[in-house]
Amino acid sequence: MLTYIIRRLAWSVLLLFIVSLLVFFIFYTLPSADPAILRAGRNPDPDLIKELNKRYGLDDPFYKQYFIYMRDLVLHFDFGRSFQNNVDVRTEIFERMPATISLALGAAVVWLCVGIPIGIISAVKRGTIWDRLTMGLALVAISAPVYWLGLVSIYLFASDIGTLAPIFNTTGNYVDPWDNFSQWFSSLILPWMVLATAFAAVYARFMRSNLSEVLDEDYIRTARSKGLKERTVIFKHGVRSAITPIVTIFGLDLGGLLGGAILTESVFNIPGIGRTAFDSIQKSDLPIVQGTVLIAAAAIILLNLLVDIAYAFLDPRVRY
Amino acid sequence: MRVDSRTRPVWLAMLIACAFAFVVAGCGSDDSGGSSGSSSSSGGATVPGGGKIGEGKQGGDVTFLAAGDVDYMDPGQTYYTFGYMVQYAVNRPLYSFNPSSATDPIPDLADGEPEISSDQKTITVHLKPNVKYAPPVDRAVTSKDVKYAIERAFTTSVPSGYATSYFAEIEGVPDNAPIKYSALKPFSGLQTPDDQTLVIKLTKPVAQRVAAALVMPITIPVPQDYAQKFDTKVPSTYNENVAFTGPYMVQNDPQTGNLTGFDPGKSIKLVRNPNWDKSTDYRPAFLDSITISEGNDDAVVAARRTLEGQKTMCCDSGQLPPSIFKRVLDRQQDQLGKVPSGGSRWVALNTSKPPFDNIDVRKAVIAGFDRTALRLTRGGEIIGPIAQSYIPPGIPGHEESGGDKGFTEFDWMQNPEGDLDLAKKYFKQSGVKLNSDGLYGGTDEISIVGDNADPGLSTSTVAQSEFEKLGFKTTFRKVPRDTMYTKFCGVPKSEPNVCPSVGWFKDFTDPESMLEPTFDGKAIKPAGNVNWSQLNDSKINQAMADAALKSGGDRNQGWADVNKQIVAQAPGVPYIWDSSFQIESPDVNGVMNGYYTTWDLSFSSLK
Repeated sequence: MLTYIIRRLAWSVLLLFIVSLLVFFIFYTLPSADPAILRAGRNPDPDLIKELNKRYGLDDPFYKQYFIYMRDLVLHFDFGRSFQNNVDVRTEIFERMPATISLALGAAVVWLCVGIPIGIISAVKRGTIWDRLTMGLALVAISAPVYWLGLVSIYLFASDIGTLAPIFNTTGNYVDPWDNFSQWFSSLILPWMVLATAFAAVYARFMRSNLSEVLDEDYIRTARSKGLKERTVIFKHGVRSAITPIVTIFGLDLGGLLGGAILTESVFNIPGIGRTAFDSIQKSDLPIVQGTVLIAAAAIILLNLLVDIAYAFLDPRVRY
Repeated sequence: MRVDSRTRPVWLAMLIACAFAFVVAGCGSDDSGGSSGSSSSSGGATVPGGGKIGEGKQGGDVTFLAAGDVDYMDPGQTYYTFGYMVQYAVNRPLYSFNPSSATDPIPDLADGEPEISSDQKTITVHLKPNVKYAPPVDRAVTSKDVKYAIERAFTTSVPSGYATSYFAEIEGVPDNAPIKYSALKPFSGLQTPDDQTLVIKLTKPVAQRVAAALVMPITIPVPQDYAQKFDTKVPSTYNENVAFTGPYMVQNDPQTGNLTGFDPGKSIKLVRNPNWDKSTDYRPAFLDSITISEGNDDAVVAARRTLEGQKTMCCDSGQLPPSIFKRVLDRQQDQLGKVPSGGSRWVALNTSKPPFDNIDVRKAVIAGFDRTALRLTRGGEIIGPIAQSYIPPGIPGHEESGGDKGFTEFDWMQNPEGDLDLAKKYFKQSGVKLNSDGLYGGTDEISIVGDNADPGLSTSTVAQSEFEKLGFKTTFRKVPRDTMYTKFCGVPKSEPNVCPSVGWFKDFTDPESMLEPTFDGKAIKPAGNVNWSQLNDSKINQAMADAALKSGGDRNQGWADVNKQIVAQAPGVPYIWDSSFQIESPDVNGVMNGYYTTWDLSFSSLK
């Protein structure tokens, strides 16, 4: 197991290197705004543009810029400074991380608590009206774009403009949990539900499908024949087998969200990494774009590694 | 997919549930609710937008919803509307604008009008005594602070977007600005004979223009004894440690000056400046505090929160989403602020390459273009008149340019809905190949690079269809607005034939700031170029140089003559002199400022 982990970590480093190179390459080959001209103002002096290009190293060749960036990152864990407002990128990202983690983890709890039980019940009650209703609603939930869902939920439920039941905190009220726990919690209820909706639906459908298949297996029939309680058959034998693939996708999904749920953060004005990345892309602020992408990639890689390790505990047949 | 009878009720129920959600959400966007939909009882505005100037309830806190962030907090660097909105509430330049007039600046830090010598090469400004900085600086402003504020803007630590454009004629300004801060020496042309007097000496007789530019934030005082330690860094960190002189200040650490109330991208908290002396200021400063909440990317949500909420103002973009705009015009006009934006928008034709290097082709395009359709993409007639020249209303020289009617002797400008017969006449006169309809018959495609987001996208799309109506074959590339300006339209060597959604807005109330950057051949730059037509006519260039040296009524007429020459060259299709719009909650008495075209936080109040 240890050898496996070390090998995976080594591959992770290579992967992060490739991701960083790709981001640099995309930034320089696709037409984006010129950061020096943007910083210089709307009628910029050519000497000022030249000075800013020099300051940001933008007049250096692409490979030199990349080398300097990676050197600072590896040796000093320095992500550079924003082209736009000169803030330290590392500080900016880590300041915004609590918001993204809060959003992602909270939504994960909601979608697991909702999606998996629904999937189990649907599998057990396969073919009934309950099954059809839940799976139909799941399809609707998967199809609804999260941005649209977010806006609709704000128009229906936000405390200041909600028309149906204005019971949830409106947008833009996020604070970190150590500043005001109750405001933090109340500001995230609606975003959690919105973000969790599609995931819960996917997980419900996935769980139903897997469990339905498992419940048809011979060993389940054997377990029932032995006189075990139905609950024991379903949970100890059925769910345990069916949940393994869900662990995999959970790792991918959570890893992706920890890199920033851009749409949800934008709709609900949550100052997380996703929104920062979106704003930076629009302003061609490469250091922040690079930093947020690397953090997102690292989160996905790490979560995947944890998932693979968890597999070994969930499934005794898996050994590294 | 077949649906059997057992499942039909289930699907029907789901469909109804979805439809219900749509209906309720849709009703919510039109249902204005009780109080916000009522007719105005505020007595109406006596000035552009919002409430009555100088009248308001003392106290209270307001939230301003913004999508983006200020460009800078540093007065030497800020150059955009949103930054100005904050800056003019927390700081005091030499001159500024009372909301009652967007054209005549009044003394702010200054104690009277600028005294201009007869040779137009010296400006003398006297400062009010006893205007104090907020903590931690805690002392009176002196003329040396204004001198330093201007000087620092020519260094690499403080990259100012306009210092070299408007203040380069000050004696002693280095030729190779921006320079390193360590190389900065006092400018011989900025003299401070005493703490309340600033004398500006110029190398050329351009005092009229420089005096007009004294309204800009570059003249906001910066105490060198406090700021120097920040300015030695590259870039300066004064942006996070600004000293304040206005009725408000950004919340800070009173010991160090660090702006604790400035969280970039998240919020800005403005509180009262404890050292502000009301007797030295024309601003009433009714509110106790203003919280600027940023990141409100969805303009409709932000607008609805404002219109239906309390103690809220919006928005930093100056433009409302169409659905909100319609609703406000129909039912909530008392919550709308409007001022002329002091700018023009046009479709720029690249005169440096075919086919628009031919003046008659350009005239044909303008003649045939439906400019009312272009204006509709911005909101229609309510937004503003069809632009007939490049000096908008409110800028000196506009009336001398024929006012809103423009120069009536130019027939290609007289029919904003387009005149195809006249277009055909000019196409024929141009000598280009014609098609069977007598319109442009050339085979080369013209390239158009425009915004990929509304309203610029709509404007560009309409422009493309107008060109095709006139016989042109087009390719239209959509890119983000910043990319459009910095990689295509602002870079002469990669500029397309047409930049359809450009615009220019005043820096100060002087026609030179409208025409020189945008149509002077000498202003064409390899990057960051704003002479998008690349107009380079030696007669016009010389006329501008001559007009720049004039003053008073001669100056206005001189620039009007330049305006006429520019319009005669048909470098673009001007289509609107537009307005800026803001909204407020029903309990807010917002007052618009016509200079920076957004809410004036130091005049706004609660009802």
